[in-house]
Amino acid sequence: MSDTETLVRGILDGDRISVSRAISVIENDLYSDRALRILEGINPRTGNAHVIGITGPPGVGKSTLIGAMVPRIAVDDRKVAVVAIDASSPFSKGSILGNRIRMQESLTRHGIFMRSLSSRGLSGGLSFSALGTIKILDAAGFDTIILETVGSGQADLDVMLLASTIVVVLAPGLGDEIQAIKAGIMEIAHIFVVNKLDREGAFQAIKDIEDVLATASQGEWKVPVIGVSASNGDGLDDLNSAIGKHAEYQARHRDRRSSVRMELNLIVESEIMKALRNAIEEDSRVTGIIDDVSSGARDPFQGSRMIMGALSQRIAGKK
Amino acid sequence: MFKDKPVKVLLAKPGIDGHDRGMFVLARAFRDAGMDVLYAGLLPTPQEVVDTAVNEDVDVIALSLLNGAHLTAFKKVSDLLRKKGIDDIAIVGGGTIPDTDKPKLEKLGISGNYGPGTPLSVIIDHVTKRATESRKKKMGSG
Ligand SMILES: Nc1nc2c(ncn2[C@@H]2O[C@H](COP(=O)(O)OP(=O)(O)O)[C@@H](O)[C@H]2O)c(=O)[nH]1
Ligand SMILES: [Mg+2]
Repeated sequence: MSDTETLVRGILDGDRISVSRAISVIENDLYSDRALRILEGINPRTGNAHVIGITGPPGVGKSTLIGAMVPRIAVDDRKVAVVAIDASSPFSKGSILGNRIRMQESLTRHGIFMRSLSSRGLSGGLSFSALGTIKILDAAGFDTIILETVGSGQADLDVMLLASTIVVVLAPGLGDEIQAIKAGIMEIAHIFVVNKLDREGAFQAIKDIEDVLATASQGEWKVPVIGVSASNGDGLDDLNSAIGKHAEYQARHRDRRSSVRMELNLIVESEIMKALRNAIEEDSRVTGIIDDVSSGARDPFQGSRMIMGALSQRIAGKK
Repeated sequence: MFKDKPVKVLLAKPGIDGHDRGMFVLARAFRDAGMDVLYAGLLPTPQEVVDTAVNEDVDVIALSLLNGAHLTAFKKVSDLLRKKGIDDIAIVGGGTIPDTDKPKLEKLGISGNYGPGTPLSVIIDHVTKRATESRKKKMGSG
């Protein structure tokens, strides 16, 4: 494996092997010094990519839709990358990373870089590894990064906030259109898509969502509801132009402070986790505290406070 | 809590043999063994297999063919991977592979080469072993 500097140079040169390896560093060892140094090294070249988030319940056709949209987005030499997060089995912790297969043909034809992340190895750190992956792709010169997540839990919603244009995809026949809207997705959606327009009930679903939206207070950006069929191509041009319009809108209205706050939050969290790991591995004070709590000499709350004390000293560089 | 990323394996059948079922059985068995499993899809070319393996940075490529074309197809994948200078993604093989071909594949670094009917646990153990070697190399001189 190459050293951090070589990896950083490779990323900046757009070398895909370096990009892929760097993402692995973030994935394998989320809270390592190496991960943070890579991200710091490439940081000056980040901030140019447009990140499109695609979320919604499983089975609505998100991956198929991405495959169908890629030819429309990868025009005029725009370089496109896809990052898709698959949920893993809660039992074995393994996962079948099935998103890729739905878009493989399109990826091959258009030379798209795609990476599948499983949410499992990343428990808690999903947002940080997604942030790191996006930064690496951004620095490597990808103009558009498409991020797919299943819109089910809080962790997925948090990941979506890394995107500048958030597309929520629903489909008829799932009976959960309104449910999904209620579950916190409403607030973050910039564009609603009803996929499977070729199926019965699609137009009703569009109308239901429009009704709900009509009662919500919206800002300057009016959230459109777009019917599409990823399988026959209907409505995809409309979706593409809505994404383009939102990209322009958000470039003018971007709330820089809120994205900076989120980014700092994730990086600080990572630094703390790194310090915690080092402390657990090598700080004799921590082993002592574990002994004390095990023997009942202290309760876990006292123990945790003492670990926090040791941590803050470590972070401050005093050891 | 840390450094617990599962083994990542790419299942690929670089040619037509009309036996997709076996791949799905394998995919599920690998997942149940705690691995992250990617499936290269219908009829991937050796180039597609290698591109996917590199972009996804898998630990192991598991190739299978039941049509007798394993020597040429598997060798292509192995050659393309080496050409990229990558030595930390392992290749394992499977399918209807005559005993006389196995040493030739082994020489290319393609191990396992299990036939139909091999117990899943044997295959899982072997993939895990090769993945561990890959991981070690990847972590190696960092
Ligand atoms: N009828 C119809 N089926 C679709 C459409 N888009 C996707 N599908 C199917 O919906 C299923 C789930 O698709 P997938 O892209 O994996 O959904 P995801 O889980 O949201 O990523 C697959 O069987 C697709 O073939 C569409 O526009 N119309
Ligand atoms: Mg999907």
